Parts: sequence; C-alpha cells; structure tokens
Amino acid sequence: MDIRYVNRLTGHIKNLQVEGQITLVTLLLEGDLEMKTIVIDTPESAEYLALNREVNILFKETEVVIGLEKTNGISLANKIDCKVQTLQSGTLLSGVDLECLPGNIRAIVSTEALSDMGIEPGKKVLAMIKLNEVMLSPK
Amino acid sequence: MVEVRIHKKLGAGTAEFTLNTDLTIAEGSLLTLYGPSGSGKTSLLRGIAGLLPPDKGYIAFQDRTWFDSEKKINLPPQKRNIGYVFQDYALFPNMTVIENLKFAKSKSAPDNIIADLLDVMDLAALENRKPDTLSGGQKQRVALARALVQQPDVLLLDEPLAALDTDMRLSLQDHILDAHNKLGLTTIMVSHDLGEIMKLSDTTAIMKEGRITQLGPPGELFMEKHISGKFQFTGTVLHLIQQDVIYIISVLIGNNIVKVVAHPSEIEGILPGDKVVVASKAFNPVIYKISGNSASE
Repeated sequence: MDIRYVNRLTGHIKNLQVEGQITLVTLLLEGDLEMKTIVIDTPESAEYLALNREVNILFKETEVVIGLEKTNGISLANKIDCKVQTLQSGTLLSGVDLECLPGNIRAIVSTEALSDMGIEPGKKVLAMIKLNEVMLSPK
Repeated sequence: MVEVRIHKKLGAGTAEFTLNTDLTIAEGSLLTLYGPSGSGKTSLLRGIAGLLPPDKGYIAFQDRTWFDSEKKINLPPQKRNIGYVFQDYALFPNMTVIENLKFAKSKSAPDNIIADLLDVMDLAALENRKPDTLSGGQKQRVALARALVQQPDVLLLDEPLAALDTDMRLSLQDHILDAHNKLGLTTIMVSHDLGEIMKLSDTTAIMKEGRITQLGPPGELFMEKHISGKFQFTGTVLHLIQQDVIYIISVLIGNNIVKVVAHPSEIEGILPGDKVVVASKAFNPVIYKISGNSASE
C-alpha cells in the first residue's frame, strides 16, 4: 500500500548530525538542491538513516510557504525555486501547483495572500518548508 | 487464548511442504491469515477445527486440550466448540432459514438465541425462505448465523466473503465484526482482501509454505515500510467533507474523533469505514495537563 502524499520528492542522505535521540538529516535532491529535516530517530533506531541512502521526502501541502523572491533573512531551512503552473482558487484557501527542479510541489495557501502577492501561472516563486515539517520514508 | 503448535506434512510430490506453526491467539482477538494459495491457511483452520489431524503437536483453547500428539488426545470437531464458515454456504437446501438455525442449535443453548441472531444478522424478514431463494450475501449471513447458534468459543472463517460483490462484502464485514464483538468470540479468518484485513483484524499472520513468516497488527505489516512521523495512529474514517480546495476528514481513533485536512489527491479511494493511518511529526502537537498529581499540593 502506498502513502498518497501530495508532496513527495526523492533524494539521497548527504549528512547526518546526531544529538541524543534527534538527527538533523541533510538531503541532496536533483539539481544539487539541499533540503534539511529533523527526525526523532537515529541511525541506531532507524536503519534507513544511512549516508547515500535514497529516501522519500514527504511534506504536507498546507506546510508550504510561498515567497516572491530570494530571501535571506528567513529561518526556513528549505527553499526551493519554482514556477507557478496552475491555481485552483477557493473562497478562503487556494491550491497552487508549482513546477520545481526536484519535482512538482503543491501548496495550499490563503486566497487573499495569493491575490495580494499577485501570484499567477508562470510567475517565479520560492517554496519554503520548515525543517520540522519534513518526514522521511525509506524507498 | 488459543494455542496452536502443529506439524503436518501436506501435498504430494514436488508440491510437498510441511505445515509448521507456533501461534498463540489472545482471547477476543480477530486474527486474519494472509498468504498465497497453497501456503497452508485452510489446512491450519482445518487442523484447529479437528478436520485435519496434525502429525504431531498441541492445540488448546484456554485450559482445554483439543489435540496433544504425546498424550494421544484428539477431540472430534463437535467437542471443540467452534463455528466454521466456508466460502460456499453449505446450507440445507430443503430447510428454511429458521429451520437451518434450529437444526444447528444445541439443547443447552438458550431459546432466544435464534431470534437474537436473526436480529443481529438482519435475517428476521427472511426466516421462512429457503436458501435457493436468497442472494449470496443473504446465504452467507445465514451460514454465519448458523455457525453462531452453536455458541462457539472460536469462530473459523475460510474466505467467507470471497464470492460476494463489493457492497455485499462490506455489509457482511460489518456483521462479522458486530458478532465478533458482541459475542466475545476469538475469530480466525482467512482473507486475501487487504481492506478487509485492515478493517476487521487486530492481528495478521502472513503465511508462506506452511510457516507463519510475519505476525503483527495489519497496519504495521502492510503499511509502506515506515514513515518517520512519530505522532501516528490507526483509525476509521467517519466522513469526508469538501471545503474549498481541501477535504476535512473525520477519523475515529479509539474513542476520540480527530479531523485531518487533506488535498483531494491525497484521499483518492478513501471511503467512510476505511482504516487509515494518521501521521504527523512529533513537533506539531501541543500537550497540556488536564488532571493528575500536582507538585504543590
């Protein structure tokens, strides 16, 4: 059985930094893009936490933040350059399909924010995901 | 508790293999047996029922020994207090529904048991019909009721729903679960249907070539390996409501109803009644105390 996760990218584990029960995992995705996640597991408790191991990178569409351009003064660890493909507009919430180098990403954001920012198909944006919102599963 | 430790040589020629199981089933458990054809699932059920004597081993329910090759104990099927339902219904064609049930009732069983079971199985309106006028699902409900009339301690189900269409199967699953819970049965069921296994059973034994190769909660055995989310529960979908571009799904976990927001593509094929895993990172939930010991008191 498959987990039908909306946002599912794949990457290889590039680095593991273990502190007690917690591991900061650095992932390398297509296009030399780095992503980071923090998990409550260690190489001892989860065998898939091994260097160069291929993993699924999963995150919820509601946890994706959209920004207009390169921003440095933000604590979000994961920033991915994307292009807006399509919008599904609802009254309060809208879906945004993004075309990105490591794979397509979908975001659910407030309709008001989208129109304030002038988000429309073709526009270049930055998709950002907090470190602690990213889950991993072994491939 | 049902204990089954048996050895039995099965098959012939190149297809020969040995049924070799060591299984302990907790009282009140609903265990499913899953595995390819010819892996020994039906033989295991028949062994427990007393229809296929093992070459050696031991079978017991609670403190009653049903089979012990060393002590030369081998209770016949009718002394093991089991109910057995097969894929084909095996009803008496010349008897009505209620006559089929009465025939199976032992003298010691309470008189109202037949009326109760007709009610639980939704058969009251059909009690005077003969089997050949019933649909497959109705016949299987009668077969199930007939197995339960004997007030079994252990219910053995050998793919009882395999011949039924999806709607009928879903409704029969509810009847099985209902009877299992209400009557406090220990149930062992052969099934090939993963949805059915997830919905009905608390434990699954995966069988291969006569051996149990994996044993555990079906959610763990059949989930796509493991996901790193530590805030993880198995629950039953109650309903799905579309709101703007998302769905709000209510899931019953234990006695609590939780709500999960999901994108339409995430919930494709998920229907009310389905068993699901709800997972999140351990970073998201907040925790606060509602009762307990106070250090200042």
